Formats: sequence, C-alpha cells, structure tokens
Amino acid sequence: KKAKIVKMAAGMDVRDILELEGPEQQFITKDALMNDRKKKVAKKTDVSFKRPEGMHRELWGLLWTDNKDAPPIIPTDTNQGYKQMKAKIGSSKVRPWKWMPFTNPARKDGAVFYHWRRVADEGKDYPFARFNKAVDIPVYSDLEYQQHLHDDNWTRQETDFLFDQCKRFDLRFIIVHDRWDRDKFPNRSVEDIKERYYSICNTLTKVRAPQGSEPKIRAFDAEHERKRKLQLTKLFDRTPEQVEEEEHLIAELKKIELRKKEREKKTQDLQKLITAADSNFDARRSEKKQTKKKIHTPHQKINPTVSTPEPSGIKFADFKTSGVSLRSQRMKLPASIGQKKLKAIEQVLEELGIEYSPIPTEDTVTHFNELRQDIVLLYELKIALATCDYELESLKHRFETLAPGKPLPVETCIKSEPESSVLSAETTGSMVNPSLSPDSPSKQKMLAEAIDVLNANPPGTPNRKRKAALELPNMLKKIKQKM
Amino acid sequence: MTIVKPVIYGNISRYFGKKRDEDGHTHQWTVYVKPYKNEDLSTYVKKINFKLHESYPNPNRVLVKPPYEVTETGWGEFEVVIKIYFNDPNERPVTIYHLLKLFQSETDIMLGKKSLVAEYYDEIVFQDPTAMMQQLLNSTRPVAIGAYKHETDFEEKKEKTLEKILSAKTKIRYEIQELNERLKQKKESIQTLKDHLEKLEDADVTDVENVT
Repeated sequence: KKAKIVKMAAGMDVRDILELEGPEQQFITKDALMNDRKKKVAKKTDVSFKRPEGMHRELWGLLWTDNKDAPPIIPTDTNQGYKQMKAKIGSSKVRPWKWMPFTNPARKDGAVFYHWRRVADEGKDYPFARFNKAVDIPVYSDLEYQQHLHDDNWTRQETDFLFDQCKRFDLRFIIVHDRWDRDKFPNRSVEDIKERYYSICNTLTKVRAPQGSEPKIRAFDAEHERKRKLQLTKLFDRTPEQVEEEEHLIAELKKIELRKKEREKKTQDLQKLITAADSNFDARRSEKKQTKKKIHTPHQKINPTVSTPEPSGIKFADFKTSGVSLRSQRMKLPASIGQKKLKAIEQVLEELGIEYSPIPTEDTVTHFNELRQDIVLLYELKIALATCDYELESLKHRFETLAPGKPLPVETCIKSEPESSVLSAETTGSMVNPSLSPDSPSKQKMLAEAIDVLNANPPGTPNRKRKAALELPNMLKKIKQKM
Repeated sequence: MTIVKPVIYGNISRYFGKKRDEDGHTHQWTVYVKPYKNEDLSTYVKKINFKLHESYPNPNRVLVKPPYEVTETGWGEFEVVIKIYFNDPNERPVTIYHLLKLFQSETDIMLGKKSLVAEYYDEIVFQDPTAMMQQLLNSTRPVAIGAYKHETDFEEKKEKTLEKILSAKTKIRYEIQELNERLKQKKESIQTLKDHLEKLEDADVTDVENVT
C-alpha cells in the first residue's frame, strides 16, 4: 500500500485508497448527459409571462415568445396614448415678473430707466453693463510731453485733441479722421494720425518701462501704409478697358511662355537626336575598341531589350528566349511603328532596290534591321532639320523687326528640302561635303530626298510642280525681254 | 546553343492551257516544304499541315513523311497556312503563310508552256533545344539520291541581297552624318541668333525704361 501511495498522484485515486468522501462521482453515462441537458432547458422555461389582453399574438411573439430574450424595449407609461401633450419647459412653477427701475452703471449721468424684470432678480446689477469695455489709451503728463513727445509738426493742442478723439472713439481711426477739426488743425490723413499716435505710445512704453525689461513696441510703417492704400485705390479705380487689357496681356504672355517651352523641348529632342546619331557612329567606327562603354552603345540598337531613348529609332521584338522560331519573324517591324515612319522606310527601300522582306539569313536579318533603324534615324533628323529651319525663319523675322535693315549675324541660307525629284539632286549634290560622300556629289542622289517630310504629296505630282516652278522664271524672263 | 535548319517553301504551278469544263479549274499546282540541304526532315519533323482554302474538300492536308507536298487543281490564288510540328513535344509548331501563286505576266507561263515557280527561303531557328532534339537535329540522313537542287539559286540571292543591304547601310550612314553636321550648324546659328536677339531686346527694354 505504501508503495502505491508513493507512486500515485493526488486526486481520485488517493481518495479512493483513503476511502475519503470526495465530491459525488458519477460514472459518465449517456443518461446523465441527457438528463443534464433537460435540467438546463427546464430551468429556462420556468419564468413565463402572460400575454396582456388585447395585444395581438404576433406582437407578443415579437416581444416575448419568439426569442425568450429580455424585452427589447423598456416598458413605458402608455396612459396618454396619442393625444397632443403640452410642452413641458423646465420646472413647473411660473416665476413672476415686475416693472422696475434700474440704472446702467456704464452711464455717467445716473439716469433711471424702467424695464420688466423677474422678481427674483430684483436688486441685481444691470447685466449688460459689463459690455462697456474701453480701450486703454495712455495718458501722458506735461513733463513727459516736454521731455519725450515733442514733435515739430504737431502742436501740444493738436496732440491732446488727437488723444481725446482716440479715447472718445475707442481708437477707431477712420472716425477720428472723419471727425478731425479741419478749421483748427491742419488736414491730417489717417496715416498721419496713426503715425503720431503710435509713435507716442511706443515712446511712452519705452520710457515708462522699468530698467532691464523689454517693452513690446507696435511697429507701424506709415510710409508703407500710404503706398499700400494708394496702390489699392489705383487698382480699384481702373477702368474696364484697362482691366481687359491687362487680362489680354496676361493671356498673351501665357501663350508665349507655352510656345517657348515647346521650342525648348524640341531643341532638347534635337540634342538627343544628335547625340544619338553621334554616339551611333562613334561606336560603330570604333567597334574594335572593346571598352565597355562603346560596346554598350552599338548594342543599344542591336539589343532590343535595353530601353533606348525615343529618338534613336525602332525597337525590334526580342528573340532571346529558348524555343523554335522562323528567321523571317525577326525581320518583322513592331506594330507600334507609325504610318509616317513606315512610309519613309518603304520609300527609301524602293529607291535602293531592296525588297521589303528580303531573304532571311542571319546576317541579312541583322543588317536589314539595322538599315531600317538607320532609315528611321535619317527620317527623324530630317524632321529635326525642318523644325530648325522653321525656328530660324521665325528668329530671322524677329531680328528684322527689332533691328530693321541690319545684316543678320548668322549665315542663314535656309535650304528647305525639296520634294523628291531628280532635278534637285544637282543643287543638293553641290551642298554635300565631298569628303563625306562616297560617290561624286553631282551624280549622287540623296536618299534623304526620297523621304517626303514637308508635304505628303502623292508620287508624280512633285515632278510636275517642280517643272512648273522652273518654267515660271523662264516665262518672266521672256515677258521682260518683250517689254 | 542554336541550331539553324534552312527550309524552302512555296509552290509550282502550271496552266492547263484552257479552262476545264466540269469545275472551271485552270491550273495544277503543288505546294511544298523542302529542306534547303539534302536531308530527311522527318527525323525531327513530326508532321506538316497544309491548310488549303475551305472550298477544297478536307482542306487540312497532313504529311508525315517526305515529300511534304500537296498537289491539287484550282482556278484561284489563296493563302496556304503551313504548320510544321516537331518530334519534340516541348517545341511549339512554326507557321508559315504562303500565298499560292498561279498567275504571271510572262508569256510562256501564261500559255502553259512553262511552270511557274514561287519558292522562298526561310530558316527554322532552334534556340536551346533539348538534348533529345539536338540529337535528332544533328543526325539527319540525306533524302534524295544523287544531285539535290532547287529551282531558285538561293545562294546567289543571299549574296546579292546582303551586298545590297550592306552598301545601303553605308550610304545611309553617310547621309545621317551629313545631316547631323548640318543640324549642328543650324543649332549653332539658332543659338547665335537667339543671343543677338536677347541683347537687342535688353537694349530695347533699357531704352524704354530710360524714356519713362
């Protein structure tokens, strides 16, 4: 038994051994469980209310039977029903009122007036007297005046008058100015009055302040105030025409600023274009130099996954992922390319006698794609050139208006690109720097001309136009000769 | 690792000489896919599906072994969708679109004395194929005994095209450079003019100020 005790934990077993009476231990039976439940349910239904007479069953159900919860509403006294109740204001007893005399302590004459008042309030002070607030106007002694407050422009009398007025009108300067005695004293403006008043106040605070303390000084700039009010009156007095004119000018200014921004943006794009074209050629020329930077730039065009700045041409689809594809797919132009660029490419390819879709070998595809990117670059450069020309023209005009008759400080032979024609080749050919072009300039036809930038004319008409344009001076010559 | 398999696709067609009475057909044609080099495509190609015009019965013609071609008669040109399936299930099929060509303005072809050939070169590029596919692609056997030639001289075409493109590139580059130079000059001119104008305007402003 001892061994048993040592091994066992306290609780039921111990009690069992020691034969102690523990709490009633029932063996868990199904019945016990069921009975437990029943007991609880039974307890709940002990309390039940009877439905009041006359109340509808459903209503009672809402309140009581359905959920057996506590009623959701606090029962009220329903004796009154629906009749109009009299308003209950405050406590029930009525307070009497009396006609009684009163004086206003704010008044200086001690006049007696009468009014209705509650009996309970008899004898109390007139409640509105407390609103009689006055402004603190400093009072100076004669000594103070002689020592500190003397001013050449203001007599003692005038100063006294000023302060008196200020006191009377509670520092309402506009009224003070209005009530100014112009017979006795010179005409003072509001600013003059204010200036005198504030300067005196400040002087007095400074003088009266105990040693070492820093008195607060009211800053009043009379000059500034005068100017400000003058400005406001001017603004107010503007005629409608003037107002309109001003608005008009502002609108014009905005327009000019906007155009200026656009032009600046264009020049920026231009700059990008130039650097792109530049870096393009620098990189290709020195492809053999295997510096990191230079490798990067040619690949900017060949490797389409690197995002390129907008002006540098078209991006071709990426074919780096594994899988099977047709070579010809790599020559496909991206869908995003615009109509104008497309047309430019087609025109140049036609000039060169290259098919739009040449035989797709690896080398051909690579070079063909590069060629098309170059064509697009050429097209963009052409557009940029046209924009430059336009800008030069407008600048020229401005110069001529500002300095009429003066020579232009810049050589501005603005040669606008002629529309595609064989005749213009000679004129443009002579412009080409011979050191750059591979063929003799006069025979070489500029491909750039094939790109119609200025006018989208259907093919055929440019030639006709050109002919007519050439004929005109001839005709004029003939007429002159005849005359 | 990339393996390239050049192929030739297209059609050959011939005019009967007259319009056939019963169905109005005028031409016999064969649309085909051939390897560029002499090899058996079926090593790595599972099947080739030629989708003809819906007016043809069973428009989907499937070929599982060479020669991969469909011969038919007809009267009109239409687009044939050629889909090539590979023996490696991982590889997706490639689709070629070929416009069947029957008509040409050359007299002999118009009269039916000569066949018209419209064939094109393309390359199937296998990027990182599986080991199994690599094996198949590299172990092809010739399909034709004797000489294997195409109607078109593609080697010449390749050479000429590349030449043209390269020379075009050079030309364009020169022009770009030239334009670039001009652009720079114009930019400088613009800047000079702007500077001058600014000075003039400033002078103007000061003049106005002096007057008022």
